[in-house]
Amino acid sequence: MGSRWKGKGAEVKALADPISEIVSQLQSSLISSNSKGLLSGTGVLLKADAELTDLLNRACFGRPRVTSEKNDQWFQLSTEEAFYLQHSLKCIKIVDHNDTELNSDELWKHMTSSRENFPILFKAFSHLRSKNWVVRSGSQYGVDFVAYRHHPALVHSEYAVLVLSAQDGNANGRLKVWSDFHCTLRLCGSVAKTLLILNIEEQQSCATSPSCLDNYAVEERTITRWSPEQGREKNVKSDPRVK
Amino acid sequence: MEADKWASFSEGTSDSEGYGEDPDDDDHCCAYASTDIPKLQFRKDISRSRWLDPLGLAEVVERKGGLWTTTGIVRNGKIYCFIEEILYLAEIGALHLLSKDDTPLTLEHVYNKVAEGKSGCSLEYYEAYKHLKSLGYIVGRHGIPWSVRRSKANCIVIQDTPEPAQSGDKESRNSILISEMINNMQIGGLRLAFDVYPPNSRFRKSAPGDPCFVLCLASEYPPSKEEIEDLERHSHGIPLIFCLVEHGRVSFFSFNKVELPVLP
Repeated sequence: MGSRWKGKGAEVKALADPISEIVSQLQSSLISSNSKGLLSGTGVLLKADAELTDLLNRACFGRPRVTSEKNDQWFQLSTEEAFYLQHSLKCIKIVDHNDTELNSDELWKHMTSSRENFPILFKAFSHLRSKNWVVRSGSQYGVDFVAYRHHPALVHSEYAVLVLSAQDGNANGRLKVWSDFHCTLRLCGSVAKTLLILNIEEQQSCATSPSCLDNYAVEERTITRWSPEQGREKNVKSDPRVK
Repeated sequence: MEADKWASFSEGTSDSEGYGEDPDDDDHCCAYASTDIPKLQFRKDISRSRWLDPLGLAEVVERKGGLWTTTGIVRNGKIYCFIEEILYLAEIGALHLLSKDDTPLTLEHVYNKVAEGKSGCSLEYYEAYKHLKSLGYIVGRHGIPWSVRRSKANCIVIQDTPEPAQSGDKESRNSILISEMINNMQIGGLRLAFDVYPPNSRFRKSAPGDPCFVLCLASEYPPSKEEIEDLERHSHGIPLIFCLVEHGRVSFFSFNKVELPVLP
């Protein structure tokens, strides 16, 4: 399906302003402002000044909360975003309501105890983020994530992402029956996204600490409907995303 | 008959909706009155073939029309066709099937042979074949050569028959065919069913080239990652397409390994 940029000049604008650059600016800005995120349930609330607000928006981390507070802007980070900023980019601290800091191990325990799938979902999230894809929640489309080539203001999301793992009999529970394939592909087709499956494979069993993330292998596969009517004119080999 | 009025048939039940378009394909798959069921035109070029029971194949005894350039396998100068090919041609009225004593066999006989399941072809398998054939694709059983040169054929016989290949011409021919049938591969519930070539008016059985994809007939459950990888190893770099046949509807899926680029 390819990238669908939003209007003229969007692609040029994106090229001039790479996501990797924005994220690294965000990282140093968070470090220098000694940012603390407040753990609340499975989400994290983060206070941001004007500069940080701009960077969080441009890097597409968190959702701004609408409040009447004048000087500061609050952002709500998802579980994966918070853990990525704390554990992977090491640029925020996470505290609980007593202002006690949680280290990566403690935060990992908290996240995995409330969401069994957290390890594989986080692996998928960080896999795509580390390749500088913008990753947002996929719940609007009935998938785990959607992946954007750049900021959602400039481009439509390209992939609808489902995270599967062979361990624990595919705990995420998706695509176990053909009717789920029909359903998911029909939906992806109608919103012009390609279905991307991330297969997370555990090399050794050890989901008790975030160190297990290094033992996960990620395999990327797209699943597409193939139309024999259109395939007659196209060579299957030459186009990896056959429609 | 009441049942005829509500007949639904499998023409036009392809799941062809592409991205972006959304035809309501429920509408045109059911006939309200039996007169709405289309019939194919009568053909004047009708070939004839004779059923070889132990092999589950038919030998073509009279060829008419150009369809034989893309149908049937050639062994020792003769054309043999598989049950799916016989049924396809019988349904469109291009082939008559005879029993070994030359009595004509009806379409019902052919349907029976498919139902019997002894010729390596189920109804689902046939549906997949027919769907691609009717769109002009060239379809052969996976891994079975379209033609074998006489010298090469003899080699195969010597390898496959434990006794010295003294036996007559007919028997050696049979053993070639039987060994090929067994060759048809099955992994778990999945089966590499067909080698599929794009429509090509210059197709030659003696030099078919590589198929554009191998069609894998899907089983009740979607394939696991391991099953897909296993099949990919057996398809020797030729792309795989999975075909699911449910209630006479045929859908095709591809599971392509990709590597997302690292973006700037």
